[in-house]
Amino acid sequence: MTSILEVRDLCVSIGRGDGRFTAVDGISFSVNAGDAFGIVGESGSGKSLTLRAIMALLPTSAHLDSGAVLVEGEELATAGHAARVQRRARIAMVFQDPLSALNPVRTIGDQVAEVPRRVLKRSRTESRRRAIELLGLVGVPDPARRFDAYPHELSGGMRQRVAIAMALAAEPAILLCDEPTTALDVTVQAQVLDLIDKLRVELDLAVVFVSHDLGVVRELCQDVAVMYAGRFAETGPTSDLLGRPRHPYTLGLLRAVVDLDDQVGTLRPIGGTLPDPLHLPSGCAFHPRCPLATAECRTNVPPLIHLDVASSSDASSRASACFHHDLVEAP
Amino acid sequence: MSDIASPASSTSALTVRDLTVSFPIERHRRLIAVDDVGFDLAHGESLGIVGESGCGKTTVARCVVGLQRPDSGSVTIDGVDVDATRSSSERRAVQLIFQDPYSSLNPRMTIGAMLTQLLSFHDLARGPKAEERCRELLALVGLPADALTRYPGAFSGGQRQRIAIARALAVEPRVIVADEPVSALDVSIQATILELFADLRDRLGISLVMISHNLAAVRHVCDRVAVMYLGKLVEVGSTEQVFADPRHPYTRSLLNAVPQVRRDPPKNRIRLAGEPPSPLSRPTGCSFHPRCPRAEARCAIDEPALLALPDDASRESACFFRDERMDATLGARVPEEMP
Repeated sequence: MTSILEVRDLCVSIGRGDGRFTAVDGISFSVNAGDAFGIVGESGSGKSLTLRAIMALLPTSAHLDSGAVLVEGEELATAGHAARVQRRARIAMVFQDPLSALNPVRTIGDQVAEVPRRVLKRSRTESRRRAIELLGLVGVPDPARRFDAYPHELSGGMRQRVAIAMALAAEPAILLCDEPTTALDVTVQAQVLDLIDKLRVELDLAVVFVSHDLGVVRELCQDVAVMYAGRFAETGPTSDLLGRPRHPYTLGLLRAVVDLDDQVGTLRPIGGTLPDPLHLPSGCAFHPRCPLATAECRTNVPPLIHLDVASSSDASSRASACFHHDLVEAP
Repeated sequence: MSDIASPASSTSALTVRDLTVSFPIERHRRLIAVDDVGFDLAHGESLGIVGESGCGKTTVARCVVGLQRPDSGSVTIDGVDVDATRSSSERRAVQLIFQDPYSSLNPRMTIGAMLTQLLSFHDLARGPKAEERCRELLALVGLPADALTRYPGAFSGGQRQRIAIARALAVEPRVIVADEPVSALDVSIQATILELFADLRDRLGISLVMISHNLAAVRHVCDRVAVMYLGKLVEVGSTEQVFADPRHPYTRSLLNAVPQVRRDPPKNRIRLAGEPPSPLSRPTGCSFHPRCPRAEARCAIDEPALLALPDDASRESACFFRDERMDATLGARVPEEMP
């Protein structure tokens, strides 16, 4: 199967003059139709910027230094009006806070219907019919009546469903999700995750899902990349990677996260703190916090290389950016 | 009704009885945020209060520290009522730690100035003694002594939360209330703060109330857990037992909804439909019945009281089916095993 979305060597820098630093440093990946790809990292790791660079929605303080975004093999413009036109009806994005993604003074139906009318050039009646259909698809109860509701009349979970309906209104092949469930309660988060999963299967969507929560990514994504200081530390099939990490940062995260059925007192926090992006450590950015670090790690940046993991079901798909990936313990 | 007749009530650090809080919405209408909540907390014990947004858990926390006056009911700490007539030394007995360490610390005061002001206000220490006490406090929460001369802006989120904890500890409280203390922090930092809470609980014998929507965090730090739904307690018991064998369908659904990191998602688990109803239009009978996969006709009519389990008097549940084991599928009920 050919990949529908391909990202090549994305580099994004932020700031000007002395305050300038590279926030995303050489990110490449591809996603097939009907697959979900997760990007996991802590704040400042560059995961959201990666998504915004794909969507050509970088903030003005950020600059795309290099890289290409390809949809079905065609390279897209990376900024400006051309970039927006090329993305319409192909890539859509859902954000963390649905309240700021919706216009507070227009009804939700109006906002969803605007997309088929403006982008797909459908008639008003047809757009309205389509909007009601979409609201039903994302699980808004009684969509014909809710069409005239304003965002403030809905709960957080319902608002996020409306934002998803808006994203799908132009029938995109690719859905980018930037922590869409972080602001929601756990039971509502579970519902929205189930919804995204259902839509992925039914509409054959390629989903890129950014989150700080390993558990959420494990629920939703077949493949995952763990991001640290602007680079992929490790990539691979999700349950395989989380079951047997091949990068000390992944292992550290796994050991630091509390799960429900953990033995109490088994937490092992990662030592040290997240690096200052203006003064990244030399060599591997993780080396000051890494128990496996050697002299080589302090001077050379380890490339993300494919692994020959015998235990893995799909060995060729695992990659790690660690010189000592074979020394990483089981979690 | 929901009072827990604790066998150790005479030695309770914190006692909450029949707490009811409502807020005015419009004329002649009030929203009942907390409805007849009661619990005890022993010295050195930690209690987690969990529930979704709007369930009233933060309002309970605010009542416990005296920031919110209840309509009725009482909060006492070591036998002293938490109300406006408390003396300054009685106010020291309970301290609150907020969710966001970026807004809870004064950005224009050094950590040292903040702590010494507090110590001198409460007549705890002055001069060189105060400085020594500050160093002691910072050591307790794992910060270097040179932090005293720096401003909050110089610290990361996790370090700021440590400073907030040091500030709470400075007045030697007997009860600490922490409202979502790790929610604003990064994943890898959360663990270090949870470890710190567990460590302080063990070393200082402070009683802790932790408000959280993060069930795994509560499981890690708290001896007991209280689950709230729409202003009421629906299940109370030892954390280990409640999580291993929940006896309220809402607790089961909450546990089902938590994404697991170290294992693949279980098959056939029940997902809760809908969202919590508004406290302004509370369903009849059991508030949870419209969403409950286990509900029967009587659940819509009668309200189940928070009562002890027939097989374990130390645990309570506000469900008619509190004698049943509830597995992840809820519908397919597992019959009670014979001992």
